[in-house]
Amino acid sequence: MNPERESCLVEVLDRLLNKGAVLNADLIISVAGIPLIGVTLKAMIAGMETMLEYGIMEDWDKSSRELYASQETHIPLFPGEQVLYKAFGYLREDEGLIKCWVPGIWNITSQRIILWIKTPGKVLFETPLENLRVLRVPASHEVRKELELIYPEGRTRISLSERDEFEEALAGAAEATNAMKRSEICESGQLPYQI
Amino acid sequence: MVKEARYLYSVARTGHDAMLGSIGIEKNNVYIITYKDIAAIVHACDAKPYKTEDKKLAEGWVLEHSYVIDQATKMFGTVLPFSFDVIIKGNDDAVKDWLCRDYENLAGELIRVRGTAEYSIQIYCDHAYLENLVYSKNQELVDLKNSIEKGSKGKAYLLKRDLDMKLKNLTYSETGRLADRFCTEIKPLVKELKVSGRTSWTPEKYKEKKLLATYSCLVSDEAVKKLGEVLEEINCKEGFFVRFTGPWAPFSFVRLQETG
Repeated sequence: MNPERESCLVEVLDRLLNKGAVLNADLIISVAGIPLIGVTLKAMIAGMETMLEYGIMEDWDKSSRELYASQETHIPLFPGEQVLYKAFGYLREDEGLIKCWVPGIWNITSQRIILWIKTPGKVLFETPLENLRVLRVPASHEVRKELELIYPEGRTRISLSERDEFEEALAGAAEATNAMKRSEICESGQLPYQI
Repeated sequence: MVKEARYLYSVARTGHDAMLGSIGIEKNNVYIITYKDIAAIVHACDAKPYKTEDKKLAEGWVLEHSYVIDQATKMFGTVLPFSFDVIIKGNDDAVKDWLCRDYENLAGELIRVRGTAEYSIQIYCDHAYLENLVYSKNQELVDLKNSIEKGSKGKAYLLKRDLDMKLKNLTYSETGRLADRFCTEIKPLVKELKVSGRTSWTPEKYKEKKLLATYSCLVSDEAVKKLGEVLEEINCKEGFFVRFTGPWAPFSFVRLQETG
């Protein structure tokens, strides 16, 4: 096949703004010792995303990514425990003076249900899937989709915009748990969840 | 009023003064400033960068810059292309002074790229073909897919998530493997090769395809035909598509080292 001299504007801009003999003015100044103005139009022509993609703001992006990475923490899991599902949601906090919905990431693992906040990395709520019952409850506010978790130590309300998916994942996880521990559960006659 | 700076398009190999005409940015008169056997291709400008709020105008400037580089290449052979908006403060003597001080470096680079040009190669793959390829190599995925069809709704949901994740990871490794394989085929035919996982633009006919790799290659004029043949072979393979463009000035391969 023969090469084509086909090029669109974006490709020309990519070459002329991001490549070429002088990528930054400092380089040529130190080579030549001649004051050189190298202010580019990159910022104007390319959007922020494009700049990140093309590495124009790579240093900044790298440092910010490193910062985020250093802050990222992981949920402490038991040996063999796996996270099966994650969704953003809320936990109703009724204790104390201020009653509010606390946001976090709901995680369904092969053993537990956990509300996790990424920064500073904290478990706000957890309970085993075993002996957990889940009920759909009328929402206290029209925009909320709420569930009630009932477990041996008590009960609590949660809210998730992806409630249907969460229920489905919970059913799947419970089934998997159930399958693993079928004999014990069947003998004791308890179901690990109930919606 | 005397213009106190020079807008730099490229550096070429020539010892003779020449005028390229009013082909520069905003129809500026482009000419060359020589030192020994090398020359800077410039136009006289004010000592301030080209700046505008008008995106169309800015794009026009970039295209004009590109046009000058193409014309200079036609006249003088492979040039060292400079990035947009590189301006040397001072008159022709200041430019000559810079050429003199950095002569070794610039002349060395011109020799290195002589008789070559930059070509861009993008290899795309059909999504369905790639997926089948991944399935054919991983029995685990086939088994997982079968259990989804048999499983209950809840269990199937989780297995599907598991399958999607595994498929994504395996597809990723497969594209890497294919990119490496094509790279091995292309590398012996080019002087230099740079691999990139992205492309700045995808033509309409490749929009539905998966980009396996983008290669920027510095290729000798005499090796272009052979490279085209190898790419044709890849292009003829089932599921693969090659986009081969060029010749361009060696934008990705010019190195100007700091000499302190």
